[in-house]
Amino acid sequence: MLSEKETTIIALEEDVVEFTETKPTPPAPKKEAKSVDVKDVKIAAKKTAPRTSKKELTMLAKAASEFAKKMLAPNREENDKYPFGPFFEDALEKAFGVDFFHIILPEDMNGMNQGMSALSVTLDNICQEDSSLGGILFTNAAAQELMIQAGSKAELERICSKETVRDFLIALPVFNNPSEVKHLAQAKKTGDAYTLSGSLEYMVLGDLAGQAIIPASIAGSTRYSYFLVDLKDKGISKSEPILSLGLHACPAVDLELNHVKATLIGQEGKGSDYFEKMADRLHVAAASMALGVMKGSFKEAFDYAKKREQGGHEIINWSEVKMILSNMAIKISNAEMIIEKACKAVDTLEAKWETRSRAAALHIQDMACDLTTDGIQLLGGVGYMKDFGQEKRFRDAKHIQALLGITPIKKITFIENMI
Amino acid sequence: MISRSEIKSYLSKEPLFDDMTCSLKATTRQPAAMIKETRKIIELARRFNKEVIEPYALELDRTMQKDPDYLPWEFVKKANEWGFFTLWIPKIFGGHGYNIPSLSYFMEETGSACLGLSNLICVHYLAVSTIFASWNLSLISKLCRLVAQGEKTGVPCLLSTAITEPGAGTDVEEVELVDRGKVACSATKVEGGYLINGSKVFISSGHVSQWHMVICYTDLKKPSENMIILAVETGSKGFSFGRVEHKMGVKGCPASELIFDNCFVPDDLVLLSRDHTGKQKRGVKETCGQILDYVLASSRAGVSAWGAGAARGAYETALDFALTTEVNGKTLANHEWAQSMLAEMYKNVCIARLTYIETNYANGMYGLFKTIQMKPLFYYFKYMPMILLDKFAPMILNLASTTWLFRKIQLDWQSDPEFHRTAGWGSLAKFTGTDMGMKNCQMALEIMGQSGLRQDRRAEKILRDSKLLQIFEGTNQLNRLNLFKCLVAKNNPMIKVFEKE
Ligand SMILES: Cc1cc2nc3c(=O)[nH]c(=O)nc-3n(C[C@H](O)[C@H](O)[C@H](O)COP(=O)(O)OP(=O)(O)OC[C@H]3O[C@@H](n4cnc5c(N)ncnc54)[C@H](O)[C@@H]3O)c2cc1C
Repeated sequence: MLSEKETTIIALEEDVVEFTETKPTPPAPKKEAKSVDVKDVKIAAKKTAPRTSKKELTMLAKAASEFAKKMLAPNREENDKYPFGPFFEDALEKAFGVDFFHIILPEDMNGMNQGMSALSVTLDNICQEDSSLGGILFTNAAAQELMIQAGSKAELERICSKETVRDFLIALPVFNNPSEVKHLAQAKKTGDAYTLSGSLEYMVLGDLAGQAIIPASIAGSTRYSYFLVDLKDKGISKSEPILSLGLHACPAVDLELNHVKATLIGQEGKGSDYFEKMADRLHVAAASMALGVMKGSFKEAFDYAKKREQGGHEIINWSEVKMILSNMAIKISNAEMIIEKACKAVDTLEAKWETRSRAAALHIQDMACDLTTDGIQLLGGVGYMKDFGQEKRFRDAKHIQALLGITPIKKITFIENMI
Repeated sequence: MISRSEIKSYLSKEPLFDDMTCSLKATTRQPAAMIKETRKIIELARRFNKEVIEPYALELDRTMQKDPDYLPWEFVKKANEWGFFTLWIPKIFGGHGYNIPSLSYFMEETGSACLGLSNLICVHYLAVSTIFASWNLSLISKLCRLVAQGEKTGVPCLLSTAITEPGAGTDVEEVELVDRGKVACSATKVEGGYLINGSKVFISSGHVSQWHMVICYTDLKKPSENMIILAVETGSKGFSFGRVEHKMGVKGCPASELIFDNCFVPDDLVLLSRDHTGKQKRGVKETCGQILDYVLASSRAGVSAWGAGAARGAYETALDFALTTEVNGKTLANHEWAQSMLAEMYKNVCIARLTYIETNYANGMYGLFKTIQMKPLFYYFKYMPMILLDKFAPMILNLASTTWLFRKIQLDWQSDPEFHRTAGWGSLAKFTGTDMGMKNCQMALEIMGQSGLRQDRRAEKILRDSKLLQIFEGTNQLNRLNLFKCLVAKNNPMIKVFEKE
């Protein structure tokens, strides 16, 4: 049974998740972030059942949305300045405190034991305001999932018992499928122990997390394996945070490894299997990030079009503007339906669930790139400026499209899986 | 035998023969020496890319992300040393007199290396076009000679164009809209000149320019009939700079706010006012529209060339990646899907290029460059020694009758179909070229995956830069409507464009 308070949250939620709401939130004024009511968020999150019901998903959505509005939206522009501005440590810690990083973890690891629906709904709502945190959540979830798929339970349990967010986080080169482009370290086996050497590009969360999962090839083997390393190891040197297109506050670094002690994840040579299994599930979560960005972009454009006047009336009255807005809204509506269906397929292991998850991501990420460029366009010159969130959403959407590998190859893999 | 009138009737059906054949007609009418000049310009641009832009572009972009208020003076000085601010100013006005269409090739070349730095050089010529479209020859001569002097002294003298206002962007680009817009920047007649009040926003190169061509209005109730173009010098009393915008890309070229608070501009710095437009045959409003379109038809070809540059930069970056990256055990460029995508990108570059070339042909035959590209004048200026031009030109140019004659030729003698052709092609080139630029950037990032996301691998910067091209010089939406107005609706009185909806 849900408490009265929780029911109210659900009722309120309808307004939050519905992108067609009549009064979209105006562009966030620049103000100090208020502290979010952590307790409320936690209640909403914890209450969700293993098979997340619709109501409980709505509660989680509400919690994520409130969190994003209070903790992320007010400082979006500031947070985007990273690495040339401060990192949003506070938001990260609060997100950790309300268990957003525990969604897919099993209960015995202090997790919420939720499926992709819960992760997706959280990412969608977070990314409506600022997808950098979404990127951190996604990367960490992908790393956790990879370990779950590899059966590295003990290692994962050890990591999940960590008290601070930085110790808890796991870095992963989440934009590269190592089977496609072989960004791999070299692993050396001595007895039962492994050491890694070589360089590794674009390690996401590499300068934030306590540990990293690294793909590496063992001499003599054509297939790669995954290893866990402690990022504080003296044999690791990190580049400055890489200046990137989007997700500025979800930073990546290049790593140089010199005889770094490593723990094998799962079995030797099985890296590719684990990656593909993880990717089957996580693609839909990537699609949800794209959906969140789409919703944010639409809201901003819709609101602006109702206020900005050109040619003697609000620009929303020009049918050309209406047409663009309509195309954006149609994309969002379709994306919502696709994601809902795909999440359900993944969580209930429906037939062809892997296909649904991947198809959702490929299609919706494409749509997000189209939509966010229109999102800038509708604001004219100001859309190109840092003052509004539109240019960031445009960058983030393109960045999100690259999650889990090179897009055209993801498409080729999609059909190859069907042949 | 088909009669002459039948032939005429067939050729006057839409699309008009002349609308379809700008390049065909131009091949024999335009001076052949333009080819040699263009070769030289492309060689020069490529050398400049290699020596100056390529080693500097990413570093500047990074610096500007760190410090968005940074102004790249060192680059302005370098471009000045290379002579880029006078290359396309006619010799009679103190410049080097290269043909204007070759500027578009230069924009494609330099734009393919860095749109921001290319902007910083070439947006100066938007102002040059603006002053030329006024055909106020004595003031053109004065301003252009100041630019030339800046080259000699090593103190750059750049020009900017300021039309956009906080409340009116699309509206000020279109005479049909401007009267309904919220224009607020006014010029009030006072003894000996005008007082400007109000502000302009997003002005490219504002902070690094010495002179600003300010387009504002002597009567805010009827701006379409009261457009005035004034030259304002940096440092003038009552004129100041506001903020430098913090943009997503094109960081090499600052976008500035210009603030006018009772800024006095003497009569001799008025390029064009109602006093002049009122004397032309079309009437005030139409002449104002014609002048705006003169500028835009040429500057939009230039923006299309930047689109081609962006498309090319993205294509070249993706090709380089495909040649140097192994995917699934095979060089990426050997995957058939990648070959197909790269071919599509190559095509996009060519489409963009073809549109700006055709528009330049239209402008050379029927628009802004018509007079200076007439063979006798072209060769006369090309081979006349500079000393003689410097000595005699000001005398001729300062005559009121010369200005009168040029306005007659350029404005009154331009027929309506010619006016529609140039303006329509300008818009077509603008949105086609810039859409091609964006398309290729999106494709490059798709092909490059993780590598495409990194600023140090260029592709993401080109994407950020490229997006601007779809916004300025009129949004691509406005340009589609302008094409419709000029090339579709012109002969159909029942069609109304920009009607209130
Ligand atoms: C970096 C940068 C540099 C620039 N440089 C210069 C410069 O050097 N000089 C200068 O004068 N200006 C400059 N501009 C301004 C630029 O030309 C304007 O931004 C552009 O014309 C759009 O105007 P706006 O920004 O006011 O958008 P708006 O006019 O407010 O447009 C907002 C949206 O409404 C749409 N819209 C508006 N009216 C209509 C209509 N009638 N029908 C259908 N849709 C409509 C637009 O297409 C757009 O999608 C620059 C802008 C930028 C961003």
